[in-house]
Amino acid sequence: MDIQNTQSQMRKGVLEFCILSIINRGEVYPSDIIDQMKAANLHILEGTLYPLLTRLKNAGLLNYRWVESVSGPPRKYFVMTDAGKEAFSVLLQTWNDMANAVSLLTQPQTPNTEA
Amino acid sequence: MKKVININFQGRILPIEEASYETLKQYIESLRQYFDAEEGRDEIINDIECRIAELCDDRLKKGAVCITEDDMRLIIESIGRPADFEAQDGFEATTSANASNASNAKQDQFSDNNENPKRLYRDEQNKVIGGVCAGIANYLKLDPLLVRVLWILLFGISFFAYVLLWIAVPNTSTKQIGGAKKRLFRDIDTKVIGGVCAGLSKYFGVRVIYIRLLFLVPTILLVFNWNHFHLFQFWEFDDFPNFIELTFSPSAVFIYIVLWLVLPEAKTTADKLEMRGEKVDINSIKNTIQTDMEGFGKRAQTWGSNMYNKNKINESQSTTTASSVAPEPPQPKGCLHFAGRTLTILFKAFVYFVLGIITISILAALFGFGIVATGLLPLRRFILEDGAHNWYAYAIIVFFIWVPVVGIVTAIIRKIAGIKKANVWVRGGFWSLWALSWIFIPLFFAKLTKSFSKQNDPQEQAYTLPNAKLNYLEVSAQPKLKYYNHTWLKIEPFTYLDQDTVYVRNLRIRIVKAAADSFEVKYVRISNGKTLQEAERLASLINFDLQQKDSTLFLDKGIAINKTDKFRNQHVIMTLAVPVGKRFKITNKGWAQVNVRVNKKGWRSETNSGFIINDGFDGDDWERNVDTEAFDYDHDVEYIMTPTGLERVDGVKTSNNDNEDPEQLKSRLEELKREKEKIENDLKKTWEQKQKEADEIKKQLDKTKDTLKRNSTKAVSKVSDTVKTIAAGFDAIRLLVSRFQS
Repeated sequence: MDIQNTQSQMRKGVLEFCILSIINRGEVYPSDIIDQMKAANLHILEGTLYPLLTRLKNAGLLNYRWVESVSGPPRKYFVMTDAGKEAFSVLLQTWNDMANAVSLLTQPQTPNTEA
Repeated sequence: MKKVININFQGRILPIEEASYETLKQYIESLRQYFDAEEGRDEIINDIECRIAELCDDRLKKGAVCITEDDMRLIIESIGRPADFEAQDGFEATTSANASNASNAKQDQFSDNNENPKRLYRDEQNKVIGGVCAGIANYLKLDPLLVRVLWILLFGISFFAYVLLWIAVPNTSTKQIGGAKKRLFRDIDTKVIGGVCAGLSKYFGVRVIYIRLLFLVPTILLVFNWNHFHLFQFWEFDDFPNFIELTFSPSAVFIYIVLWLVLPEAKTTADKLEMRGEKVDINSIKNTIQTDMEGFGKRAQTWGSNMYNKNKINESQSTTTASSVAPEPPQPKGCLHFAGRTLTILFKAFVYFVLGIITISILAALFGFGIVATGLLPLRRFILEDGAHNWYAYAIIVFFIWVPVVGIVTAIIRKIAGIKKANVWVRGGFWSLWALSWIFIPLFFAKLTKSFSKQNDPQEQAYTLPNAKLNYLEVSAQPKLKYYNHTWLKIEPFTYLDQDTVYVRNLRIRIVKAAADSFEVKYVRISNGKTLQEAERLASLINFDLQQKDSTLFLDKGIAINKTDKFRNQHVIMTLAVPVGKRFKITNKGWAQVNVRVNKKGWRSETNSGFIINDGFDGDDWERNVDTEAFDYDHDVEYIMTPTGLERVDGVKTSNNDNEDPEQLKSRLEELKREKEKIENDLKKTWEQKQKEADEIKKQLDKTKDTLKRNSTKAVSKVSDTVKTIAAGFDAIRLLVSRFQS
């Protein structure tokens, strides 16, 4: 089994969920997403974040707003749409189930009564 | 000292070093290529550009004078290179990105334990000309010398391959700047066979179809050349477009296989980026070659002296110690692997080649069909009536023949061009149009059959030969002016006489035995038509000319048909009666082989009934021209009429037993048996008779012998008597003499 491949599959799976969770907290600027993830010890390249955001936006889960900045041109801030919120709650439910299942399965086996 | 330029980047004025500006440009370009397939490509690029501009602005705000190369490198690293996106799924610690495999290409060039597939590089260190041979040697783990020698041995082919590889293969000092450097790969994403053409098209920035045609056209030519274009033997090609004659050099297939073997697949993102990479134009090729050629002499010299030294060392080694260790043989594993790969690829190439030939043959056949059908179009006015006829014919040609031809060709081109999905509407359209033709075909043939449904009541006419008492008659076509419609397609039996008239070579000649001792000629004119009246009219319009000049009978080559009267199977059946003992020949002069029918039964019956019956016409006579008992008639050969039928004058036996049925054979066998018995009986009788005769002769002889014996003894005794008497006489005389003496 290719461990690296599995690892990357796992990461890929949760990446969108993580980003959605950050945006769910409130309007956010992409580089802030990076920072927040870094703080949570999840590292992501900005180069992969932008295409993800665009994809989510095109899927109707996100929307953006131009916010005037003190210096330079206005910046793009991302915000959740209703559809996004709905998708997020579904994903959250799935995640909780998964996390539960995984934590159960990764625990040392409890002695079976029948055995 | 570095040049600084000001750029307007996403609404910000940035002072930037020229070199880092170049890096930025290449980086953006590499992103553009990476997100090429992405729906929101421009938006993504725009967002990233905004971010870069922001990061640059930050640096300037912190007091930097301009954006240096270091700054740019850090910014790019924080955003990430395309190679990093996929390799790390954008989720690994950015700190480790520096050490990613993108930046240390140089180290793993020749090492096998690296994850990267082994790659072919031009070896800069050991090169003589361009480093191609050295690179290949490195790749195959062989001695460069061996590769060079082989290369020179195969010079003719290898020269072009060398130049190609020189251009295509990156050298060992190639640095990767965001995948900006271009390399030749096999593109397995858009491949049809091996991805060679796709890779080449990416490399040269040409549309893939051109490259594919470049390889395909010579291959097709090979196919046509192979058969010497005898695919369609049933009509003549006078001046078919000459491109078929072009000679094919098998290099296209060969080069393809070589490239297939040599080029690596573009597997990783980095590979794919490199595959598109920086533009390769004539200039950059020139530059590569120019820089490589500089110092070529020098390198050659050092290489030469190196070789000299090596040889010397080898010599001394081999003389001093015979057991000196031989140089390490090339690693067998690599070689075996390579050989295996080669075999697979060669096999694959062969299979594709055969499949290609089959496809091309089918296409050629379809095309041929279409061409014939379209070629007949100019003749349609001689067959088809205006109106419904015509429309049906057009519909059939277009829908039944050209629609599938165009459809298949389109599909093939689409496949070549790499457009995988055929439009459902287009495909459905082709199919339904073709289905439509199946409605027209029965309609057309029903109409056409109706036009041919009636036949006139033919009247046999006699042509009186001015000079019928010939020993030898030659039948030949009338030398008439021919209208040369110079077309490469000739469809027998139609020949153009002029633009409004065609000749239908619809003439049959029957050979029969004449009752009298002079040649006789008769003919009937027959035509079909929609109605009996029309058939009669068309038959009466047939103008069939016969003319005898000396010993030659000239016939019209065919029946002239014009556009108003149409072709309704007008034909002439001519009967030539040949007297026994006379010779004749039907030449091929002026026409292609005329349809001559000689039927054995026919002439047999005619020996009895006679060719000319008093009223001039025997209803069945000429109609019995189709007979199972065919006669093996040879064209342009002199025949003689004998009481038992036709015979070749040159004495070659015609084998006409082929079609005889078994009953006939049986009766024939019995006949032969009877004949044999008869002959045997006869022989017996004769033998007995002769025996008797012999006995008689013997008796006679005995008799003669006896008489002779008797006669002879008589004679002998007589003689002896005489002798005795004489002797007695002598004695008496002697006595007398002695008496006298005494």
